[in-house]
Amino acid sequence: MSTASSTRLLKLALPLVRTHGFTREALSRSVLALPAGEVHTEPLSDTAVSALFGNGDTARRTLIDAWMKDGLRHMALVPGVERHAQSSISLDSATATAKKASIRDVLRARLEYNEPVLPHLPEAFALLASPRSGIPPLDPTQAIKHTARVADEACYITGDKSLQLDWYTKRISLAAIYAASELHQLTSPHTAYAFLDSLLETSSTLKSTLSEVGLYSDYVFKSWKGIIKSSGILL
Amino acid sequence: MPKCVQTLTTVARTLPSNAYTTLHANKTLAVHSTPQDLTYAQRNMLDSALRVDQAGEIAANYIYKGQLAVLRHDKKVGHLIQEMWDQEKKHLAVMDKLQVQHNVRPTVLSEVAKVAGFSLGAVTAFMGKEAAMACTEAVETVIGEHYDDQMKELDSFQTSHPSVPLLKSVIREFRDDELDHLDIAVVNFSQRAPAHALLSSVVGGGCKVAIELCKRF
Repeated sequence: MSTASSTRLLKLALPLVRTHGFTREALSRSVLALPAGEVHTEPLSDTAVSALFGNGDTARRTLIDAWMKDGLRHMALVPGVERHAQSSISLDSATATAKKASIRDVLRARLEYNEPVLPHLPEAFALLASPRSGIPPLDPTQAIKHTARVADEACYITGDKSLQLDWYTKRISLAAIYAASELHQLTSPHTAYAFLDSLLETSSTLKSTLSEVGLYSDYVFKSWKGIIKSSGILL
Repeated sequence: MPKCVQTLTTVARTLPSNAYTTLHANKTLAVHSTPQDLTYAQRNMLDSALRVDQAGEIAANYIYKGQLAVLRHDKKVGHLIQEMWDQEKKHLAVMDKLQVQHNVRPTVLSEVAKVAGFSLGAVTAFMGKEAAMACTEAVETVIGEHYDDQMKELDSFQTSHPSVPLLKSVIREFRDDELDHLDIAVVNFSQRAPAHALLSSVVGGGCKVAIELCKRF
């Protein structure tokens, strides 16, 4: 019961982040947005917020986490995505759209999702990077998880078919690109999209260059093999 | 010649894995999406199961590749190994599609699985036809049991998503294929291999360790 109501209130608290930031106040005011009949006249007390979402900064972390999960859902709403990870409706909408959504489209959608709450994001990331216990002084795991989730979601909903080690290289490069673009967005929101495009462009150029180098090395190797064979050194 | 044998053995039945291997069936929910109503534990179970299965199929492919590198010209077992390898290639193609469908992280140990599989296949083939068959027997016994355990675990899933019954029937089909390979190995004198008991327990033990490693990494 408590889990169901906290999930519901978290959903209602998300629009309040724009005005109140990732704060306990946003969580406490979520009850004011409940439908008629259930709506409260007063925000939740601090004790109630702690009981539902955790003590102190834990409640804020819960809110940030819910906001990030909603960001993943937002990516899947881009027209033309191959799969909708968070719902079972997938095929009709995807096949009905003539143009398939690309990685670029869904990452841009994720950056757009940041825009309304941009002033509050540095504080949210700072909170995520501060460890619960105090040691070590900076905890990058949450930031890494966040970008990895975005990269994984982008790959999944656009129908990426990378296998084995390619699966990792694709996601690691996309996570790095997205992390750089998001950091760029914090300081310069308007140029972030062009920055994302240029990074994706560089990454695909690098990939095609590497595959060409691989192909060329393969030819060189095969030529040498043929030369050695025909010279009679081996058999 | 070997291809003719393969055609006879795979096309005669309607197989659950055809949902993944035929072109026309590719756009249904069962082969295109993953269940969203699984619990955290069930999702983890599905992830690790598909990760292990895919890694196992990679290793199996390389075991047969290694065996064939040595026994390619053997008239008696050469075509049998080729036939089993062809089946493993199909298994891997289906597992690759399942990994993408269910958004499962593949194992980081895929390159290790390739090297270990090829070495195991080649070394046992060097020891003789019987040893190669003993290796197949040991590997397929462990894999057959592993698929069997997975089917029991999948039975506990409370979801109406059509991909789960399909996954169960695909695993059942693959288990049967692996047990067919086991029968082929036994019929071809796997138990006459030198130090059969020792070889079986070493290979079987190695497979179990590999399964546990791939579940986690």
